[in-house]
Amino acid sequence: MSVRVNVHPNLYQFTNDQAIVEVNGSTVGQCLDDLVKQLPQIRQGLFGKDGKLLNYVDIYVNLESSYPEELAKPVKDGDELHITLIIAGG
Amino acid sequence: MLTRSELARYDRQIMVRGFGVEGQEKLKQARIFIAGAGGLGSAAATYLTAAGVGMIRVVDHDMVELSNLNRQVLHWDEDIGKKKVDSATEKLKRLNQEVEVEAIAEMVTEANISQLVAGFDLIVDAVDNLPTRYLLNKVALEKNIPLFHGAVYGFEGRAMTIIPGETACLRCVYRGVVPGEKFPVIGVTPAVIGCIQATEVIKYIAGIGQLLTNRLLVYDGLNMKFTEFRLKKDQNCEHCGHLARGKK
Repeated sequence: MSVRVNVHPNLYQFTNDQAIVEVNGSTVGQCLDDLVKQLPQIRQGLFGKDGKLLNYVDIYVNLESSYPEELAKPVKDGDELHITLIIAGG
Repeated sequence: MLTRSELARYDRQIMVRGFGVEGQEKLKQARIFIAGAGGLGSAAATYLTAAGVGMIRVVDHDMVELSNLNRQVLHWDEDIGKKKVDSATEKLKRLNQEVEVEAIAEMVTEANISQLVAGFDLIVDAVDNLPTRYLLNKVALEKNIPLFHGAVYGFEGRAMTIIPGETACLRCVYRGVVPGEKFPVIGVTPAVIGCIQATEVIKYIAGIGQLLTNRLLVYDGLNMKFTEFRLKKDQNCEHCGHLARGKK
């Protein structure tokens, strides 16, 4: 299943400045695993040492939050993910 | 009742369909709490003052530094070393003498926040850190005061409007924390977001238009894109879940 992942600009340092990456998976977690497989450096921007999604990373599926299912949320062919990071400047 | 001078000053916005004299009179009655006199606060406070709200209380404990001046347009070279709230209120009073502007040079804390916002109709979130935003969110929910959120980083900005008990709150959306660090920002980014916050405030007071509720607007200045994420109230939200459950 092909899913488009929109990467947050703060993570471009791990994607060679790619803003959009095509991945495969039937859940958010599988899609992120495939993303990490393609771009291993991005793991440090998404997951903690415990393997859990960092608490300032939010994933949206077709512009709706994946919370609370998060990684377990199912996705289908053609879906679009947005990886966002909390920002706090004023 | 608007004076002849006010009718002239606000003529162009009174002309706006649906706003009118009634909208202007509502603005004149409004008391607005602005947390932060930095980038977001400069833009929001400037346009709310120009629009003719009744009263603004600006709270910030920082002093003006040279590195603030790329974005915090209420502060100028001559203000370096002054309290930001003093610098801000001086400009705002010069911009529009009809608006009462009050400066409080304090840090917003759990201990003082309830007292700081008491008697205010609206809260504008123009702070630079997440812990204070969570305090603003909590107090807004407790006191049933609408909260107008904004945040920036680099070329990115975000905004959302929170109506306590009715819409998703900040904690429904954000559960984590980010390290308190010096953040990069292009000066125009807080100007864009601060103006969006001011727009929301004006619409809310006048009771017109569609508010940015249950939506997180993300502005990407680098690619000049606006993306809107749809939000839902989290029934188990640490801050507003009890309000949702109480409504069942």
